[in-house]
Amino acid sequence: MKKIFIVMIVAVFGLVSISASVHAADKGDKRKGKYAYRNVYKKCHETDPSVSLTPALSPDTKTMAQWQRVFDNKEFDQFGCKAVWDALSADDLENICSYLISGAADSPTPAKCK
Amino acid sequence: MMKEFFMQSFVLKKHVAKTCCLMALIMGCFLPPVHGEDGMKPVDKGGFAAMRSQQIKINHSRYEILKQDFTSGDEVTKACLSCHTTADEDFRKTIHWTWLTPGPDAETPMGKAGYSINNFCISTNNMNDKSCSACHAGWNGKEGEINCLVCHGQKEFNMTEAFDDLNYFKAESDDESRDMAQEIQGNIKKTVEDIGIPQRKNCGSCHFYGGGGNGVKHGDLDNSLATPSKDLDVHMAGDGGNFTCTRCHTTRMHEVAGRTYTSPASTTRKSLIDDDLMPKITCESCHSSSPHKILAKMNDHTDKVACQTCHIPAFAREKPTKVWWDWSKAGELKDGKKVKTEDYMTIKGEMRWETNVKPEYDWYNGALRTLTLKDTIDPSGIVQVSKPVGDSHDPHSRIFPFKVFRGKQPYDPKSNRFLAPLLSGNQGYWETLDWESALTLGMKDMNLPFSGTWDFVETTSVFPITHMVAPAANALSCKECHSPMGRLAGIGGVYIPGSSDNAWISRIGVFLAMCALLGSLGHGVLRFLVRKGKGI
Repeated sequence: MKKIFIVMIVAVFGLVSISASVHAADKGDKRKGKYAYRNVYKKCHETDPSVSLTPALSPDTKTMAQWQRVFDNKEFDQFGCKAVWDALSADDLENICSYLISGAADSPTPAKCK
Repeated sequence: MMKEFFMQSFVLKKHVAKTCCLMALIMGCFLPPVHGEDGMKPVDKGGFAAMRSQQIKINHSRYEILKQDFTSGDEVTKACLSCHTTADEDFRKTIHWTWLTPGPDAETPMGKAGYSINNFCISTNNMNDKSCSACHAGWNGKEGEINCLVCHGQKEFNMTEAFDDLNYFKAESDDESRDMAQEIQGNIKKTVEDIGIPQRKNCGSCHFYGGGGNGVKHGDLDNSLATPSKDLDVHMAGDGGNFTCTRCHTTRMHEVAGRTYTSPASTTRKSLIDDDLMPKITCESCHSSSPHKILAKMNDHTDKVACQTCHIPAFAREKPTKVWWDWSKAGELKDGKKVKTEDYMTIKGEMRWETNVKPEYDWYNGALRTLTLKDTIDPSGIVQVSKPVGDSHDPHSRIFPFKVFRGKQPYDPKSNRFLAPLLSGNQGYWETLDWESALTLGMKDMNLPFSGTWDFVETTSVFPITHMVAPAANALSCKECHSPMGRLAGIGGVYIPGSSDNAWISRIGVFLAMCALLGSLGHGVLRFLVRKGKGI
């Protein structure tokens, strides 16, 4: 009985996190997110040419749930270009999150930045 | 008496040697310097790319027609064709567009869009497999206009994605979308204006990724050749010849030379001195058929051994190439999910990759014999899907290096013919993981029967190795082949000293050795018998 209860709780959490990811992906505009994400590195490259124009992390480097956690907890240090990230609007962040989730490793269309 | 004779002959030999050296020195001064220290090295100061940069160039950004707001790839092509008026009709006749080449009969054309089959991605199902068509040089697979930018665009930019996004943002009314549409249009214009002759990355955008990924298919073609080091490829390296692909794959009316299929890529072995308008540049074109130093033994090999055999000691020297692909293992799920690791993919099966692979060798006259979906096979053994044509009696054949691709693929046990599953798309195997449905749809696209039963058979296919030519210092040493278990062990029709075992040559050798031994012993015995008390 206890086992079934634990399995049910895990399943509910799983479903909630997946639906949250899907919901987040639906929320923003992934096309706008793609260009906003690229523009972060374009702006960064303009001020510091040593920074690559290719974004540091491709969408397929994380799963949908992992990307959701990154944006929920605002763990943006891993992207580099801190000054530009700090200046992004809430809409931009939502769009970028949507883009990264849509191309995540466990999404139907894993994507790489080129 | 004997001592005097030997002394005289020694002095005579010294005089002859001195005279010969003097003559050689004098002749050397007057002979043209055809062969240098390392044999014949064509002069190419600054590399091929530097030479090309000095040729006449067209600045496409000055053409008004290329400054328009493009909304589709087809519009770009129409702009190109407004000046290059015959490019379209020329290109549509080439194999790059048709994916067809003549087969054994008129009803069985070969090529990717024909009845040819392979043992990696198996078939394009008459070009209905959209995943394969991604490499077709058009904007919409086999439909619509040709895509000139695949080969001539100098910027790496995804035009298909750009047009898709452009049209999306143009339909939106907010300022942000308008800005993005403008930005994309600007990038499209920059790409369309930056046009030139094909670079390594243009050809490589398809040929490096044949078989569905980097280095999967060929072994001597992967993206390490986009900017290769001299150690990887002396011809293409920036600090070497800096060749683009078209340096050797010469082009006439968009027909690119060098395709190897049912007929050889090149039927002549001429130097550029004999014919500087040859349709295909081969090693001999620049290096001649005697590429090594005068009197070097290696020059005696060129009528039997291809240059590539010694000068490409291994392929896939930087990036791995796929050498084994077992489709029979496809379909396994882990926790209900598709698996994707380096050596197993649910949608593709089991695979093995290798780096720095030693080629396998065979006689080869430049043509391959490839099976079609109509051929009957014998599944009791390993089936050769493709094999080189040639033998030791054929004057056009040489011993040549190959990548041999091994794997298992589906066939129909009732008809003993290969099967071509539809892989991509909503109904393809990669989505459904249902062999019966994928094979039925695939064979329907080919208009060929399928009994409804299937099994898997082990197969091999071959790929000639001709890129990744190493520096001379890294070429094979003699003992790599001239030893009992050397690289060419098993090659028939030729005697390879140190490697081959020919009963008659061995008998003659033993006989001569015995003669020499008996002669020495006899000489010793005679000297002992006529010593006249002087001691031995």
